[in-house]
Amino acid sequence: MKKRLVAIMMVMSMTALTLAGCGGGDSASTDDTAAAEEGSEESSADADGKITISFWHYMSTDKEGKFVQEAVDEFNESQDEIYVEAQYLPREELMKQYTIGVVSGELPDVGMVDNPDHNSYAAMGVFEDITDLYEESGDTNFLEGSISSCYYDDKLYGLPWGNNCLGLFYNKQMLDEAGVEVPTTWSELEAACEALTKDGTYGLAISAINNEEGTFQFMPWLLSAGGSVDDLSSAESKEAMSYIKGLVDSGYVSSECVNWTQADAEKQFASGKAAMMINGPWQFSGLAEDAPDLEYAVAQVPKADNGDYASCLGGENIGICTGANVEASWEFISWIMSKDKSAEICKSIGRLSPRSDVDTESLYADEPNWKVFAEIMPNAQSRGPSPSWPELSAAIYNAQQQVITGAKDVDAAMDEAATTIAGLENK
Amino acid sequence: MPDSPFQIGGIAVKKREKGRWVGYAFVLPAVIYMLVFIGYPIIYNWVISFQDATAYTLKDAGRAFIGLTNYQTIFADPTFARSIQHTFIYTIGCLIIQFTLGFALAMFFSKKFTLAKPIRGLVVISWMLPVTVTALVFKFMFSQDSGIINTILMNLHIIDEPVGWLLSGGTAMAVLIIANSWVGIPFNMLLLTTGLNNIPLDVYEAASIDGATKKQQFFMITVPLLKPTIMSTLVLGFVLTFKVFDLVYVMTGGGPVDSTEVLSTYSYKLSFQQFQFGQGAAAACVLFVCLFIVALIYLRTISKSEVD
Repeated sequence: MKKRLVAIMMVMSMTALTLAGCGGGDSASTDDTAAAEEGSEESSADADGKITISFWHYMSTDKEGKFVQEAVDEFNESQDEIYVEAQYLPREELMKQYTIGVVSGELPDVGMVDNPDHNSYAAMGVFEDITDLYEESGDTNFLEGSISSCYYDDKLYGLPWGNNCLGLFYNKQMLDEAGVEVPTTWSELEAACEALTKDGTYGLAISAINNEEGTFQFMPWLLSAGGSVDDLSSAESKEAMSYIKGLVDSGYVSSECVNWTQADAEKQFASGKAAMMINGPWQFSGLAEDAPDLEYAVAQVPKADNGDYASCLGGENIGICTGANVEASWEFISWIMSKDKSAEICKSIGRLSPRSDVDTESLYADEPNWKVFAEIMPNAQSRGPSPSWPELSAAIYNAQQQVITGAKDVDAAMDEAATTIAGLENK
Repeated sequence: MPDSPFQIGGIAVKKREKGRWVGYAFVLPAVIYMLVFIGYPIIYNWVISFQDATAYTLKDAGRAFIGLTNYQTIFADPTFARSIQHTFIYTIGCLIIQFTLGFALAMFFSKKFTLAKPIRGLVVISWMLPVTVTALVFKFMFSQDSGIINTILMNLHIIDEPVGWLLSGGTAMAVLIIANSWVGIPFNMLLLTTGLNNIPLDVYEAASIDGATKKQQFFMITVPLLKPTIMSTLVLGFVLTFKVFDLVYVMTGGGPVDSTEVLSTYSYKLSFQQFQFGQGAAAACVLFVCLFIVALIYLRTISKSEVD
């Protein structure tokens, strides 16, 4: 009998390892989690009588993060009532912490969120409703497309932090050598790729990975062909998918793109393994570091032969988390999102300001690459907003992966994705 | 390793009359720890697997109980069936490779040759590396365009053009198994070495005097005497492999498409990417049940062999 008891205990503890494993996630992130937990202590007044506010973001410490820290330091010195403690967590880890935080109550005061996910987290109860604060503040100069992603059920749950969108980066030297003009349409892009693809160099690098980035990168093709997320089984949507498939099958795009993040695509472009890439302005700082001598320029993502230019709006929002010190947090976010601050920070971290009163033209007058993105931005379409966006997005990137790897043909994959999405909308 | 708790149990039985309460007091902190940090999450997980827990309802205190709906949903999902299949292929593939090679290495290093110990120490390094590091290294090594594996195979003229190892289901799974075995071999070797060292040498001496060949010695002495160690190595290996998460997540993210999706990544995606917490919990519970069954089989064999 005794033995059986010991035996049962052992079984319990061994199987428990499994769940511990699930919750633990990747071991590399343990440090971050521990650090995050420290930061998540309820905002409190310290010895100097200052209120401490924790701010979680995913601007990586070696690149954009240092500019975020500089801005936070500046805020801390500008007044003596509030002390903001900024904490970097990798995006995936931060998203997980929000989900866990809703149940455990351990949320930061202010948190960053990828804009297509904002709705889901607002629905989950991660963020405070700040509609009144926003309307009373009298400063409502945000771009419609950006602020709309912060609304859920007609209530405002955050402010847009920075915008980005996708464009075509091209290696000037390679294009010159091959005698290729910058492609503006799909057929020109194909011709350019044909001329540029050589041993060890692909014409174009894209990301078609199985996460949000894959969907984000597919959107310009989809929209330009006249397709839409709500109608993936339409001829136009399928045409966009067939086009991508064609680029990979012809060997113009590496079939490894299904495992590449946008950062991986940047590495390929920086090292000269791809003559062009689809990417966004946040890569400027990385490119300057990885390939300081690379001469490149940016253009619009080529449009379908009978379509218009299209791009997808990306970017981050920041919100005040549930249970936070709302007044102090609002003080901080309205400061950091004020006209001058927003313009300054966005420029240094490779984003475009989501504020309508920031004059991008004069701000980027001397920077042609930036100007291109500033021109693309007004037409960039946002994803969602919908609390089911994550599932919707999964249907899209799965279809893309199935098609590129040849697991399914375009028709089957797109019809299946369309059915999945229709099912989500009926819920 | 597994028999030690039983020995302790045996001693406890003899001394029960004297220090029963002292004994319980000693295990109390561990029991409390397990109840709070292991028992509670398991129970919580089972509870939400029967609830309508999604992004909308996560915060509600009284989430609706929806019976087996979550289980029905995931069992109807073809990806779930595939991820169970993948998990078993992965686990069994890893066990075969890491156990055979681990056993061979353990036998090899039990020979007392010069440098046996330092080399054995070096082999263990792969086990001590964080899994994420291993995963990234293997991802680079097996990359299609710039991976060293393709370069070597091309130069040896074994393949004509680069293979997209991580780009198609079958090879991606094979690479995962290889990567995990690289970590698992030293783990198996360590456990088996400990077992080998516990076999008294005079048994072999007696056998060789009686004229037993090396092969006979291996199958008649080493294997039977090592049986408890072998069993625990296999079961521990099974448990550790079956619940794989980080390796798959970093190397393939379950892809391409869902060809390397395993139960843990499937559960993670449901919970933390699609916010279907109820369904994610249900998938985790299936994982739990699988391991529970394995652990029960293990205990049954162990207690049988003790009776013998």
